[in-house]
Order: sequence, then structure tokens, then C-alpha cells
Amino acid sequence: MATRLLRGSMLRWLALPLILLPLGWLLFTGLGGDPRNLPSPLVGKPIPAFVGTTLDGEQFSSSDLAGKPAVINFWASYCIPSCVDEHPVLLDLAARHGGDVQLVGVLVSDTPDDARGFLDRYGQVSWPNMLNPGGSISIDYGVTGPPETFFVDADGVVVSRHIGPLTRALVDEGLASLGIAP
Amino acid sequence: MKQLALPIAVAALLALGGLVVVQLLRPSPAPTQAEQARLIAAELRCPDCQALSVAESQTASAAAIRRQIAEQLASGQTPGQIRAYFVARYGEWILLAPPSPFAWWIPPLALLAGIGVFAWWLGGRRRAAEPAAEPPAGSVRQQIRDEVEQLDA
Repeated sequence: MATRLLRGSMLRWLALPLILLPLGWLLFTGLGGDPRNLPSPLVGKPIPAFVGTTLDGEQFSSSDLAGKPAVINFWASYCIPSCVDEHPVLLDLAARHGGDVQLVGVLVSDTPDDARGFLDRYGQVSWPNMLNPGGSISIDYGVTGPPETFFVDADGVVVSRHIGPLTRALVDEGLASLGIAP
Repeated sequence: MKQLALPIAVAALLALGGLVVVQLLRPSPAPTQAEQARLIAAELRCPDCQALSVAESQTASAAAIRRQIAEQLASGQTPGQIRAYFVARYGEWILLAPPSPFAWWIPPLALLAGIGVFAWWLGGRRRAAEPAAEPPAGSVRQQIRDEVEQLDA
């Protein structure tokens, strides 16, 4: 009888950590998650088509990306400091891999004048930047806010999406996923 | 008069119940397109805000989504199709409420389970604190019997 009571008491004291530890772990991992790791439902799917005018007044469409890996970068002039920090990384990417990959910028809720002012200040770019009036391209790509970047393979399929400013290491990682050696 | 009190009370209760049922079953007027758009916007998370719905937010992205909802409703899309459209682009993250109705049952069920486990744990402690009297072993029982017989003698 005494043994049974002892066993029951031990079981009860064991039950507490068995319940509390997994709950604590769930809470800890939930709070510790990186919001930039939000999965995109577009990964593994063809990019949503877009067509429109660039900052230079040219016409550009997603079909112009056919047959070449692409990096589609959503940005805005008001996105400070993230887009400012990212800008030299994108310039470096274009300088190193401009021949291997097509860079495309897409403005997020920004005016052409403000975007041009940003480029005047932080460095002109060689790649097209879509005006995105009405934000329809941002919605089609499920953009949560600038900066956000999609790495797209030569078949036009989204390989990965990064939320937040790119770094050289992240660019190299993205290029590697497209089969381009950094 | 006293004899009539009970039937009158029952009749009044039945009438009240009937009114409640009629009120519940009465078909509500179909919401206008603007109301439908507002309802859908209230279910979607503003992509670049914290803890705000698309209906509440004043950001440009939220305004763009509201515009798309209105356009899609005008083109004949159902609220379900519009929600699916945004989920296909943003993921289920865009929905402010869990898509499965079963998810709503998790918190009350977890609470009930917690109360059950606590009651079990508390009950066990109480039993441990008050150990039940064990029946005397055979030899002890015989000894008691002998002592009682000696006292009787």
C-alpha cells in the first residue's frame, strides 16, 4: 500500500515537468522565431506575371526575365536604414554578377520622384525599377514590406524569398540556390 | 387566480422562447458590397503593420488590398475566393483568424485538460497526506483476539 502511494506521488511529481517542459519549450521557440523567416507560398511556383513602366519610363514585363535567373528586389526610398544598407550590396551584386542574373527593382508605395532622389543620393543603378502604381505587384508577390527579395531561377520559378535587407552572405547564398557560384 | 398563475407563466415563457427563435431564424438582409468588403478587410492582416487588420490600417499597402477586395467583389468573386486569393500570395499568415473552426476549441479544451490534471494532482496529494488505515496483518489480528479473550476471562 505504502509503495503504491509512493509510486502515485512520484508519478504526480513527474507529470508536472512532463506537462510544463513541453509547454515552456513551445512558448520559448514561438517567441524566439525570426519573423523574417516567414515562408512564402510562392516558393516553388512560377513568378506572378507583371508588366509596367520603369523609373526611366521604359516598358518592362516579367516575360523579359525568361531564360535567365533573376533577383526581384522590392524597395522604397522611405525604407531607412534597411534599404540604404542594402543598396551597396545590390550594386555589388550587379557589378559581380550582372551578366549571370537579371536584377529588377520594384517600388513599394513610393513616388517616382522620391525613388529618383534616393538613387541620386545613394548611387544610380543599371537595372530596371518598376513603378508599381496601386501596389498590385507587391500584393501579387505577397510583400510584407520593403526591403524584400525574391530569387528566381531561369525557368521563372521562385527559389527563395528574403525579408529584410540583403547582405553579401545572403546574396551569395541566394545565388548559390540559383546555381550561380558566388 | 393562483391556479392560473402557473399556466400564464408557462405561456409567457413559451411566447418569449418563440420570439427568440423567430429572431434567430429571421433571415438577415444581404450585406451590401461595401459591407462585404469591410468584413473581408477586417479578416485580413495588414502586411506592414503590427496587430492591425487591413480594415483598420491607413498604410498604402492596406489601402491597395482594400481596393483589390472592392474590385474583386465588383467582378463577382465570392468572399471565400477573395480570401483564397490573398492566402495564395501571403500564406495563411494573412488571415487574422485561424482557418480551421476546430482551432477555436483548442483553448477551452486545453483549459479543461489543465483543470483535470490539476485536480488529479491535488487529489493525489491529499490522499498522500491522509494515509488510509491499513487492515492489521493476520498475526496482529490473532494477537488482538487473544488479548480481548484474556480481558473477557
